[in-house]
Amino acid sequence: MEERLLHPADGNSTSRQFGGAAPFFVGLVVALIFGWWAFPGMLFSEQEQPINFSHKVHIQDAEMECSACHYFREDGTFAGLPTTESCAECHSDEPLGEDPEEARFIKEYVETGKEVKWHVYQKQPDNVFFSHAAHSLESCNNCHDFSEVELCSQCHIDVANMDKAPTYYENKLTTYSKQTMKMWQCERCHAHPEHYGVTRSSNACFVCHK
Amino acid sequence: MAVDRRGFLKFVAGATTGVLATPVPWKLLDDASIWTQNWSWIPRNVDGENSYISTISKLCPSAAGMKIRLVGNRPVRALPDDNHPLSMGGITALAAAEVQLMYSPSRVKRPLKHSGDGAYVAISWEEAEKILKENLRRAGSKIAYVSGDETGTINELLSGMAKESGSEDFYVMPSEVQPAARAFAAMNGNGQLGYDIENSDYVLALGANILESWGTVLRNRAAFKQSHPAAEKPTVKYVYAGPVQSNTAAGADEWLPAKSGTEAIVALGIANLLIKAGASVNAPDFAEFKALAAQFTPQKVASLTGVTPAKLKAIAVELSKAERPLVLTGSEFGQGTGVATVLAGTAVNMLLGSFGREGGVKALPLAPKVIASGMDRSEIADKDLVAYLSRISAGKVPAPRAMVFYEANPVYGLPQPAAMAKVMDKVPFKVAFTSFLDETAQACDLILPTPLGLERFDDVETPYGIGQAFYALARPVAPCAVDGKPAADVLLNVASQLNMDLGFATYEEVLQAKAEAAGADWDSLMEGEFFTSDAVAEQSGLRLGAAVMGKALAAAPKAAKLSIAPVQKLNIGTPNTAIPPYNNKTIRRWELQKNEMYVAMNGATARELGVVKHDRIKLTNSSGSIQARVNIFEGVMPNTIAVLMGFGHTAFDEFSKGKGENVMELLTVGYEAGTGQSVWNVAGVNVSKA
Repeated sequence: MEERLLHPADGNSTSRQFGGAAPFFVGLVVALIFGWWAFPGMLFSEQEQPINFSHKVHIQDAEMECSACHYFREDGTFAGLPTTESCAECHSDEPLGEDPEEARFIKEYVETGKEVKWHVYQKQPDNVFFSHAAHSLESCNNCHDFSEVELCSQCHIDVANMDKAPTYYENKLTTYSKQTMKMWQCERCHAHPEHYGVTRSSNACFVCHK
Repeated sequence: MAVDRRGFLKFVAGATTGVLATPVPWKLLDDASIWTQNWSWIPRNVDGENSYISTISKLCPSAAGMKIRLVGNRPVRALPDDNHPLSMGGITALAAAEVQLMYSPSRVKRPLKHSGDGAYVAISWEEAEKILKENLRRAGSKIAYVSGDETGTINELLSGMAKESGSEDFYVMPSEVQPAARAFAAMNGNGQLGYDIENSDYVLALGANILESWGTVLRNRAAFKQSHPAAEKPTVKYVYAGPVQSNTAAGADEWLPAKSGTEAIVALGIANLLIKAGASVNAPDFAEFKALAAQFTPQKVASLTGVTPAKLKAIAVELSKAERPLVLTGSEFGQGTGVATVLAGTAVNMLLGSFGREGGVKALPLAPKVIASGMDRSEIADKDLVAYLSRISAGKVPAPRAMVFYEANPVYGLPQPAAMAKVMDKVPFKVAFTSFLDETAQACDLILPTPLGLERFDDVETPYGIGQAFYALARPVAPCAVDGKPAADVLLNVASQLNMDLGFATYEEVLQAKAEAAGADWDSLMEGEFFTSDAVAEQSGLRLGAAVMGKALAAAPKAAKLSIAPVQKLNIGTPNTAIPPYNNKTIRRWELQKNEMYVAMNGATARELGVVKHDRIKLTNSSGSIQARVNIFEGVMPNTIAVLMGFGHTAFDEFSKGKGENVMELLTVGYEAGTGQSVWNVAGVNVSKA
């Protein structure tokens, strides 16, 4: 009768026969490389802005404030991105500079009256109610000493010094931007006991989720 | 090295461990939850600047003033307008739904014609206007126009076109307006009856559902609110007489249960008591009136109306003690009342010295007509649509060759609608200018989409019930959401091709002329302002109309043993709008459940009929029958069944079609003796278990 052995007859150890822990570590490393390096590239698509808008030219050369274009309306609502009509108050007939993008903007948008479909780096879902008015310099500078650019860049990409609009990464699953703040990022201030004490900005759900 | 099973499993275990240490599962889980919020059917916010445009509703019969909130260029909401005399900080349930109605699934999206096999065929506007022109030319003088607009100058245009064709057949859908206008004409009055409810210190509403559907409702509500401060004693007493504890009755300081259609008798009972107490009127027919009123002793009034003698006497005393009392008359469902009802109410006002007094009844001047061949309001008031259709039905007059319906839905909204629909079958060509695919449009050969009041220029002149002369423009706040054209412009174009001389090339010119005739400033109107005037029309030789009242009341139908009392609520819409989809949730569960409507009766009536709550019953009379379930409500008079209007549409959309049944099926048309006015505010009914 054939002998049934629990171990190989040639005396090889099990670790040698099945590669020891190597396959485990190979799998581990492959997963780590995939998860940290390949996956983000697969999840996000890279898109450029329809017009290369230079914030640097507007802020440094033209000496404009953020609020010259991103202003509060009379009723306190935030205008967000300027309309083509607003841009045309300066950029109408002839380009002011030599950047071909400005000429293209005038030709394709100002002359046709079309709105630019800007990619918004910080677009929040509709179920998040964010009031720019509540996060104003007047409010924050009770304790901080922010400049306008510094305050805006607490949440937004600091584009003030950029000549080229940063690449927009769109999440293929959610369609939101890679830079869209998550709730934990909001809570850096909202859940901060000192902020609550001074601003009374509660961390309750309904403060943001209407 | 070959990978065996165990090696592979180790690799998987390693990969799994590794993946857990990367963002992959956690990020995917988070993103998947966000992905589920992005379904295509979930509406998205569209950001934009908030702005507000003041305008006036052309859909709501109370001519509600309102502010439309726009985000960017998109209207999003109708809001109350504190500064508008026909809003005064309020908005009706119908006007509140007006923005959403722009996107109603029932909107007619393009011109349609009915093909031979009954299907709708989309056609171009050019073809539609050609069909319209050819048929109007072919019809010649055998044409009738029906309008569903009570306050617009379009009625001058439509009646002008009728007259230019050689036809006198222009009609407006029945409401409180015609009996009031005919009553004032019978009094030898000049102008339109107006009611200064704001300055009154005692308001008696006989059938007039003033807080829900009668007159300029928001103005009435504002006056009521002003005089009924929260947690304080009311400064003005409101009394309502009617068969059902409607919203008006519920709000009023006192509700007098009175049988449906007996308002004139209650008024004459009060007049009798006032005259006995020494009141009189300097009118040529006062003696005749006094003799008529004397017949209505408190006991007789009690037997005919259900109002007890003690209560009638108490009301008469309170009225005579008040400094600025006001009596308002009407129908609790906004139509079907007789001329005698308004005459009797006005006579009581005159006995109280309230005619021409602050807080009383006024004669409001109306702007002269601007289309020479058109009809003015008093001419229009003499044109009785129900009587006209009944004469056609009876073969007394021939059916016209063509009928033009302008925002009117007689196939649903008139009493005995089945009989009215049969009359329609006799007309070879019918065209509907309408925003919604309603019952009348479905019966028409040509259906032409009109922009809503929020999408076109239109006007409102002195709606019935207001206390001062008024003129305002409805202005487009947004482009038309469908391929619609204003009916007035289409008709003016066709009229010019048919060589009709209406004196104007565009409707804007007509409105400008009307504004000027009213004394209003066009530029201000275009900015959302409105025109009001406290001027009153001069009167001479005013009569009480005693002879008219005498004839009408002598032949008035007696209330049946078991009567129905239709109840109108603006949230349920009008025949033109059906139930606005925005408002379905405002219908209470004891009014409609799924597709079954409820009718209300009190416990004693239910016991007598042998029915209990939720029983399915059939209400039948000589006009028709409807089915409903029973709701027990002690706010209904004994031997009365309250039935909500606005249900039972056979057209429109899933929000209205097939929901409940149409109470108009049970309303029987009669003719008031002496005036010939069609009336349908008294209807008996038999009940059986269904």
